[in-house]
Amino acid sequence: MTLVDTEDADPAAAGRPRRGHTARWIAAAVAVVGAALVVLLATRPPEAATEVDTPLVGQRAPALDGPTLAGGSFHLASLRGRWVVLNFFASWCPPCQQEEPDLVAFAYAHRAPTAAALVGVVFNDSAAAAHAFMRSEGATWPAVVDGGGQIALAYGVVGPPETFIVAPDGTVVVHLDGPVTASELDHWLARARQGTA
Amino acid sequence: MSRTGRPAATARPAGTPPLSPAVRTGLWVVLVVMVGVALAVGATRGPGPATVQQRAAALDAVIRCPSCDGISVAQSSASTAQAIRQTVLARLRGGQSPQQVEAYLVSRYGPGILLRPPVGGGTAWVWVLPPVAVAGAAAGLGAVLWRRRRRHEAEVSEEDRALVELALARRAGATTEPGP
Repeated sequence: MTLVDTEDADPAAAGRPRRGHTARWIAAAVAVVGAALVVLLATRPPEAATEVDTPLVGQRAPALDGPTLAGGSFHLASLRGRWVVLNFFASWCPPCQQEEPDLVAFAYAHRAPTAAALVGVVFNDSAAAAHAFMRSEGATWPAVVDGGGQIALAYGVVGPPETFIVAPDGTVVVHLDGPVTASELDHWLARARQGTA
Repeated sequence: MSRTGRPAATARPAGTPPLSPAVRTGLWVVLVVMVGVALAVGATRGPGPATVQQRAAALDAVIRCPSCDGISVAQSSASTAQAIRQTVLARLRGGQSPQQVEAYLVSRYGPGILLRPPVGGGTAWVWVLPPVAVAGAAAGLGAVLWRRRRRHEAEVSEEDRALVELALARRAGATTEPGP
């Protein structure tokens, strides 16, 4: 009875602390959600490559002929009989910069003449910038200049980095979108070899 | 004006004889045939723009820029869009039809490269639904008009007419003559 009288006498005094508690709980919830978001973004693994199911998979690889950044010329047909990893890249693309050390490691691990060959294709980049980028990363594999973007179009490339694995018979067996790692490339190569064995 | 002091519902200006039902039906048939012919001609119009540049521009407008969000290669300056525009022009100049050029791009990027949804499969309803809806609406409208017309044309017997006139005369008398 006394309690009721007190509340009736001064409802504002009874309501104020309750509102204060609610505000504190809301602030705490927002702080917890914000902190969780920061932790999630900070500990998120780097962007990874995903397999893309494009019409080219299972088809013969389009012709790939052109000048290389080193001043020579390249013909994909000359690598018939070997596994080929085609990597479309650009110096201005952060995921390309992310994957480059792994590509260097992959190329070194597959340096034997009969091992899988790594070939780069410059995507919407100047030859000078692409060449400087490769040299700074220690990349020594051939990189083809794609004037006019016709090679990228023939392979259905949307944006770098994109990587294709071409079987020894010239068939495209894997299309990967995003930055790859050396271990991922080995995994996809092993899977492709099993599929064609 | 009728004897009851109200305008006749079927009053018609002098000098415009009523159209017979046969003539009216004939006019509707002519109208429907004209609309049908116009739609058929519009849907099956010839090969389109004459020059290669015009055909390329028409094709560019329906090809999606693969590295953009929902715009055509004609609207984009992205490198992929430029490459596609060059390919479209070169292939048309080489004698390929627009359908062959589209098929080539679809073989590289998949059906999503086309801005208009392909006919068939799960997207068929996008093409089928609008004509079906229009046909259904037209049929519904026609049915309503036909029924309304039939209702207006209902025959009134002389007996019914006499009853109505008697009732109206009684009502008029009740309002003008004071009661006993």
